[in-house]
Amino acid sequence: MPRSTPVDAYPTRTSELQADTEDILEAQLPLGAEEKRVLHRDLHLQFLVRNLIQGFPARYVSQDASQPWLMFWTLQAFSTLQVGIDPVNKQKAIDTVMEWQHPDGGFGGGPGQAAHLLATYASVCSLAIVGRPGPGGGWDQIDRDKLYKWYMSLKRPDGSFIVSNHGEVDVRGIYCLLVVAHFLDIVTPELIEGTAAFIASCQTYEGGFSSASHPHFYDDILSAQRPSLGEAHGGYTFCSLASWVLLRPYLPAGNNAPRVDVRRLLRWLVQMQGLESELGGFKGRTNKLVDGCYSWWVGGSFALLQALGVPATAPAPAAPHASETTPPSDTPSEDDWDDVDDSLFNRRALQEYILLAGQHPAGGLRDKPPKNPDSYHTLYCIAGLSAAQHYMHPSPSRREEVRAAWTGADDARAAAFADILSWTEEEGVSKVVGSSANRVNATHPLFNLTVTHTEGILAHFYKQTIPKHVPRASRH
Amino acid sequence: MSVTPSTGDNTERALYADRPEWADVAPVAQYENIQPLAPIFYTPEYKDATDYFRGIMKTGEKSERVLELTETIIRMNPAHYSAWQYRYETLLAISAPLEPELVLTNAFTKASIKTYQVWHHRRLLQTALRDPAPELAFIEDALRADVKNYHTWSHRQWLLAHFDVPELWAGELPFIERLLAYDVRNNSAWHHRFFVVFERGNASGTGQETEDVVRRELAFAKDKIALAPNNASAWNYLRGVLDHAHVPYATQAAFAKQYTVDSVPDAEPDVLDLEDPPPPHGAQLPCVAALEFVADVHEAEGKDGVPRAVEIWRALADTHDTIRKKYWEYRIRDAIANASEA
Repeated sequence: MPRSTPVDAYPTRTSELQADTEDILEAQLPLGAEEKRVLHRDLHLQFLVRNLIQGFPARYVSQDASQPWLMFWTLQAFSTLQVGIDPVNKQKAIDTVMEWQHPDGGFGGGPGQAAHLLATYASVCSLAIVGRPGPGGGWDQIDRDKLYKWYMSLKRPDGSFIVSNHGEVDVRGIYCLLVVAHFLDIVTPELIEGTAAFIASCQTYEGGFSSASHPHFYDDILSAQRPSLGEAHGGYTFCSLASWVLLRPYLPAGNNAPRVDVRRLLRWLVQMQGLESELGGFKGRTNKLVDGCYSWWVGGSFALLQALGVPATAPAPAAPHASETTPPSDTPSEDDWDDVDDSLFNRRALQEYILLAGQHPAGGLRDKPPKNPDSYHTLYCIAGLSAAQHYMHPSPSRREEVRAAWTGADDARAAAFADILSWTEEEGVSKVVGSSANRVNATHPLFNLTVTHTEGILAHFYKQTIPKHVPRASRH
Repeated sequence: MSVTPSTGDNTERALYADRPEWADVAPVAQYENIQPLAPIFYTPEYKDATDYFRGIMKTGEKSERVLELTETIIRMNPAHYSAWQYRYETLLAISAPLEPELVLTNAFTKASIKTYQVWHHRRLLQTALRDPAPELAFIEDALRADVKNYHTWSHRQWLLAHFDVPELWAGELPFIERLLAYDVRNNSAWHHRFFVVFERGNASGTGQETEDVVRRELAFAKDKIALAPNNASAWNYLRGVLDHAHVPYATQAAFAKQYTVDSVPDAEPDVLDLEDPPPPHGAQLPCVAALEFVADVHEAEGKDGVPRAVEIWRALADTHDTIRKKYWEYRIRDAIANASEA
C-alpha cells in the first residue's frame, strides 16, 4: 500500500477529505505494466476540437468574461499536443481575438467588455500561437501605444497594478502585464518601477506567495514588511516567480534591492507534491487537496528556480557506459530515473498523476477523479506533463548565440531579450512515462507557450533575427 | 432613490427586448462583424441582457434602470467583471445609497463565493461606507460554508489592514482559536494568525514583537503539534515564527526530537513538560516534519553537524518521505558543498 497521510488518531475535516481523496486516487492505480500509462491524445484533441468548432455549452456562460482564456487554453493545449490549426480556423481565431481589443487599449473578456490584464495576456498569447505579421494577422493590429497608456493608468504607487478599472490588485495581473509588455517591447523603467519590490513583499512565512500584499501601515509604502493578503498559493506563486525572473535584469545592485527567499520558496514548492497515495500530484496550498492544474502552477515553477541558481548544476546527460550498450531512450528504467534526474521534484510521479488521475475517460483532463474535464484543467494538466517530461533550463551558450545576433544597444532591454530566449530544452534528458507516444512538446517555463511561438512573436516586435538553435552534438 | 430588488428568478422577467420602457435603447450584438471561433451557447435571457448592456455602455447611460440590468447579468454570471464595474460607477454617478447595495451583495456573496468580483465589490463598498465591524461577522458566517475560501480570507485581511483600528483586531485571536479548535489543520487560519500577530505592524512602530509574544506563539504552535504531529500547517508556523524573530531552530531541538522516535513511549513521563509537550498516544511517528526540523538544526551547527543532518536526510529520502527523495538528496549535496567551502 502506498504511504498515506498520517492522521495521528485526531481526525478533522481536512484529514477526512484527504483520506477520501486518497481512496479515490489509489483506485486509479492500474495493476501491471508501465504500458498502461497511455496519454489518450486523440480523445483530448476531440474534446478540444468540439469546444473550438462547435462551441461551448450553456453552462460556460460563467466564462463569458473569460473568452480569451477559453481560446488560449484550447490553442496552447493543441500546441503542446503537437497539433497545428488549419489556416481557415487560424484566421477565425485571429479575427475573434481582435474583436476583444478595447478601443482605449488592452483586451477585454469579450467584445465591448472592459480591458483587463488577464484577458490581455490570454489574447496576446493566443495571437502568439495563431497570429502573424501584416494585415489580418493580428500582431500589427494591436494598438501598443494605447495598451501602454492603459497599463500605466492601472499602476499604483507601491509598484502593483490593478487588473482593470476599479479592479483588484493581484500578482496574476502583474505576471500577465509583464509577459505582454515583454512580447510587445513596451517595457520601460517607469512601467516596472517598484514592481519587483511588490512581488517580493508577497512571499509569506511558508515560502510561497500570496495574491497581493497591503501597503505598509507606516509612511514608507515601499517598505519590505507588508501584510500578505491570503496564504501561500500555487497559482500566485507561479505568477510571482515568473514575474520575478522577468524583472531580474532590471534589478538594481546592492543591499537595498528587493530579494526573494529562494530556499524557503524551494521548500514550499517541494512540500506541495502529494504522497504516493495521492499519486504524486501537486496541491496548491498546505493541507489542501491535490489538483491537476497545479501540475503546471507548481510543477512548472521548478524550472524557473534555475534562473535563481537552484539547483546549482545543470543535469548531466546519460552516462557514457550506458550509451555504449543501449540505444538512447525516452522511456527510462527505474535506474535511469535516479542516475540522471537532477530535478528537485518527482517527475515520474507527476506524470503518473496526470496520466492515471488527470485524464477523463471520455476525453479532456481534470482536477481529479471523479470530476468532469474542462478546458482550463486540460491545458494545465498537459502543460504540467510537459514540465515533467522535459528539462527546460536557461542555457548560457544559447544566451550567447542570441546576444551575438542582437542588433542595437547593449542595454537592459537586450539583456532581457537574451534571458527570455536562453530557455532551451536540454537535449537527451527528457523522461517520458509510458511509451514515447506520450511525449508532448516542451513548453517555455515563463510563458506557457512553445519556444517556437515565443521566438516568433519576439522576433517580430523587437525586429531581431533569432538564430536557429543548433542542438549540441552528443556529449559522450 | 433605492436599489430595486430583483425577483431572483429570471424566467419570470420579460426580455428587455419586449419591455416598452427599454425601447429607447438599441441593443448591440456581441459579434457584429464575424462568426467567432469557440462560441458559447448563451441562453436567450443572457444574450438579451448583455445585448442591452452593450447598448447602454455605448451611450454611457448611468441611471437606476442600469442597476436593474447589471443585477440581472450578475445573477446569471457573477464573474462578469465589466457589469460589476459599470454597476459600481453607476451607483456613484446617481449617488445611490450604498448600505442597501451592501445588503444586496450579501445575498450574492452567499450564492457565488468563489468569484473574485463579488468580494471585490464588497471591498469597494466598505471603502466608501467605512463600517467594518459588522463585516467581520459577515465574513465569519461566509466561512462556515467554505472554511478555506481564499477570497474570503484575503478580504478579512484587507479589512483589518485597511481600517486598522484596535477594536477590529481585538477579536481575531479568539476567532482563529475557534477555527483551529474545529480543525487544527486549517492552513488559512494559521496564515491568518501569522498575519494578525506578526504582520500587523504593532504599536511599537517597528514591527518587532516582544519576546513574550514570540514565546507565546512558539508555545501555541507546539501545543497544536502535540495534538496531531503530522500537521504541516503547525510546523510551518513554528518555523515561520522562529525565522521571523531570528531565533535559532536549535532552541526547539529538544521539543522536535521527541517526535523523531519510532513510536510513542509507553511510560508516562514523570514530569509533564509544558515547554516541550510530547507526542500524544495516537501519534504516527516518526514525524517527517520533525525529522526535517532536527536535520536543519544539525545543518546549522556547521561542519560538525552536517554528517548527522545527512543521516536524517538519507533516512527521509529512502524511508520516511520517499516522494521527496530528489529534494533530500539535493539537501545532502548542498550541505556537503557548503561545508567544504567553509
